[in-house]
Amino acid sequence: MSEALKGKGADNGGTAAGVGGSRSSGSGNGAWQPLIVAFCCNWCSYAGGDLAGTSRLSYPANVRVIRVTCSSRVNPLHVMRAFQRGADGVLIAGCHPGDCHYTSGNYHARRRFSIFARLLEHAGLEPERFQVRWISSSEGDRFAEVMQEMTETIKALGPNERWVDPRWLKIT
Amino acid sequence: MAQDNLNRDQATARIRAAVTQDLLSGRISLLLGWQKGLFWWRSRPLFARSQQDLERLVWDSFCAVNLSRYLPEELSIEERVGILVKGCDARAFHRLLQDRMLDRERVLLYGLPCPGMLDYRLLAEAGVKEAEQMLEEGEELVIQTGGGEERRPRTDFLLEKCRLCPHPDPVVYDQLLLPPGEPWMDPASRFQDLEARERPTPAERYAYWSGELQRCLSCYACRQVCPACSCRECFAEQQEPRWLGKGAGLNENMLFHIIRVYHGAGRCIECGECQRACPVGIPLLELSRRLAKDIEELYGPYEAGMDPEAPPPLLTYRPEDPAAFPEK
Amino acid sequence: MIRYIQESRLEELFRILSRRGPLYLPLAEGPSLSFRPWSEGAPVDLKTVNSTVSAKEIFLPREEAYFCYRRAGRELALEPLEQEAANAVAFGLRACDLRGLEMLDRVFKDQDPPDGLYLRRREQTAIVALACAEPAPYCFCSLFGIDPARAGGADLQAWWHGEGLCLKALTAAGEELLSSAGELLHEGPAGAEEPPRVETGNFGLKLEGLPAGLRERFDDPVWEELYRSCLGCGACTYICPTCYCFDLEDFGHQEKGERYRCWDSCMFREFTLMAGGHNPRPTRKERVRNRFLHKLQYYPERYGEIACTGCGRCLRSCPVDLNIVQVIRALGGESR
Repeated sequence: MSEALKGKGADNGGTAAGVGGSRSSGSGNGAWQPLIVAFCCNWCSYAGGDLAGTSRLSYPANVRVIRVTCSSRVNPLHVMRAFQRGADGVLIAGCHPGDCHYTSGNYHARRRFSIFARLLEHAGLEPERFQVRWISSSEGDRFAEVMQEMTETIKALGPNERWVDPRWLKIT
Repeated sequence: MAQDNLNRDQATARIRAAVTQDLLSGRISLLLGWQKGLFWWRSRPLFARSQQDLERLVWDSFCAVNLSRYLPEELSIEERVGILVKGCDARAFHRLLQDRMLDRERVLLYGLPCPGMLDYRLLAEAGVKEAEQMLEEGEELVIQTGGGEERRPRTDFLLEKCRLCPHPDPVVYDQLLLPPGEPWMDPASRFQDLEARERPTPAERYAYWSGELQRCLSCYACRQVCPACSCRECFAEQQEPRWLGKGAGLNENMLFHIIRVYHGAGRCIECGECQRACPVGIPLLELSRRLAKDIEELYGPYEAGMDPEAPPPLLTYRPEDPAAFPEK
Repeated sequence: MIRYIQESRLEELFRILSRRGPLYLPLAEGPSLSFRPWSEGAPVDLKTVNSTVSAKEIFLPREEAYFCYRRAGRELALEPLEQEAANAVAFGLRACDLRGLEMLDRVFKDQDPPDGLYLRRREQTAIVALACAEPAPYCFCSLFGIDPARAGGADLQAWWHGEGLCLKALTAAGEELLSSAGELLHEGPAGAEEPPRVETGNFGLKLEGLPAGLRERFDDPVWEELYRSCLGCGACTYICPTCYCFDLEDFGHQEKGERYRCWDSCMFREFTLMAGGHNPRPTRKERVRNRFLHKLQYYPERYGEIACTGCGRCLRSCPVDLNIVQVIRALGGESR
């Protein structure tokens, strides 16, 4: 897991090298580039990403993948922390329902993150910024498509301003 | 709300008689109830251990504090605790029972059908400054002001948590001390007010909640009073990892409340103590109720704290569950 | 000389005063009232007695960053951060707020060395006190010898009269505020030379009857009863004008970040939690006892005055109605 998301130590953050910097650098030509954090389940979606890579499929470099044991391992605090540290969009990707390596992890994740997505919506987040998708290990093409689609959606929305910690922007 | 034609003093006397017997016989070693607070419009928790303590017991229109919150700690000291429960205290009891925070056998529940508790702020706005200016007559409130006498429905003056309450009668008790009342809110229509307060765009919703939550003092009264907040160590105080600083930044305030509400999703009994306890008047109950409404829409009817055997919706699943996001 | 301004023209006065720097006024935020920097159209409430959160936050803000650090290799550079408090005006403080400031002054200002952050805000802020026309049911400041209509330590005393505010300068800084308002102000109406006297209730407490011999009552069984209903939240400490506990925290990463001071509350378990896991105030009983002994014994022993101003905020805001009046009564401080 990225240092910045661990939130380890008294500094509330870890090193500057993790999430962040979406506003400062971008792709080099000065244009704003979104930063998307994708929590991918080890057994399906992360493997799907691997397949996308070995199949030489390309997807936007805006996505930073964080490997997790299961989609249900993701804590809503991870999502909030990503937004605080400058993520413009957060994606959780897991096995298709019925295919969970742990039998029922993604069933739990489905309920939890459906409700969490609604909560973020109530609190004022644009719903496109927090998404959940099922991607299997054989769906390298779908992995690339989802990442492409999410990047485009977020680009159209512009930089996220919800829950970004202004102190973090000052020091990255 | 017909209270068997008993006035509050008579009701108090009846309650006192019932619990005195149990306390003196040693059936319970402590009685959790209410006593008069510093002002006529407030009643505070009473921890009674003797007949003398019980003389202070009251049952009036200001017993808003949810007493069940005290049970886990008192049970760590006392052998057997008696507790007066309104509708929300009873559902809070179920909440704690389901969370395995207490031992059913060591609690004696005295049920009190609740007429709804009054909000001093609303009374003061209507010109009531002294207790004598207000007379409760069944479902009406007779208010004496300089301008004369006014009769208003009692429901106009309820705390929001009470106005929205669909279960004023206790859902669990060992003894019901007063006759059951008539609820004023149909459970099926309990979210109607939310639709009227719909804010259509994300920008409006964010503006609203950031406006409300920016004044949060991080005093954690909402958490401390909550019967669903049962973590031994709250994420807000966790040191390793450290999720939340002690600063006053809006983003941290919002993070705290979003996660607090989420932790109560499917478990919140909608007792509204969070909102009543908030010193700066943040309408905290709304977010929790919006989530409860979503849960019903997605995963079927569910009211937390009604049945301790029914699993909270976020602790279970069905393979055919719908999702709030596209699954294909 | 008494000056006078129509209520309808207060907005213009605020506009002028805010040119000097931040102008703090009691602003409505939902049902709550707090001192916040004024801006055009802000919902000012100079009638309600009194603000939900005390005026201490003008001088001891909820959070203030005071230096930033930067590390390059083995070098660590510290840079002080500028404060924004220059030439502020705090408008609408009540007599109890000012008594509260006196209490904070002893802790932060009248020390050697003084607390730089507090001192700067204090010295650069002119204070306009507002007399209470009618005390709230929670008020009991008269018990502490406070006249709600006459505040000590203000630069300017204001009071309602008819459809406007009378203003009376008490210091040179107050005179300056008046002259900056220029033609907005008229000569005060006849018969309004002084704010009308106001007296609050005292809940049957008398200052002489306030707890004596608390030193011997540290282990008194009364604490066993008093703490029970306490929820362990920090509401009372955060709204209180005389609570001043704070914490220092860092925000940042290994190379760069800032240190800030923020409010903390002795009602929280973590307040006294030590690194090794030991907690000298392990339960709410010790924490409740500490909070009230601090008000009634420790502070008076050190500074000669009970650390309560009778503002009534804890009476109004405690979710379970546990407050200092109840504690003083339980300790036998009630006059018969």
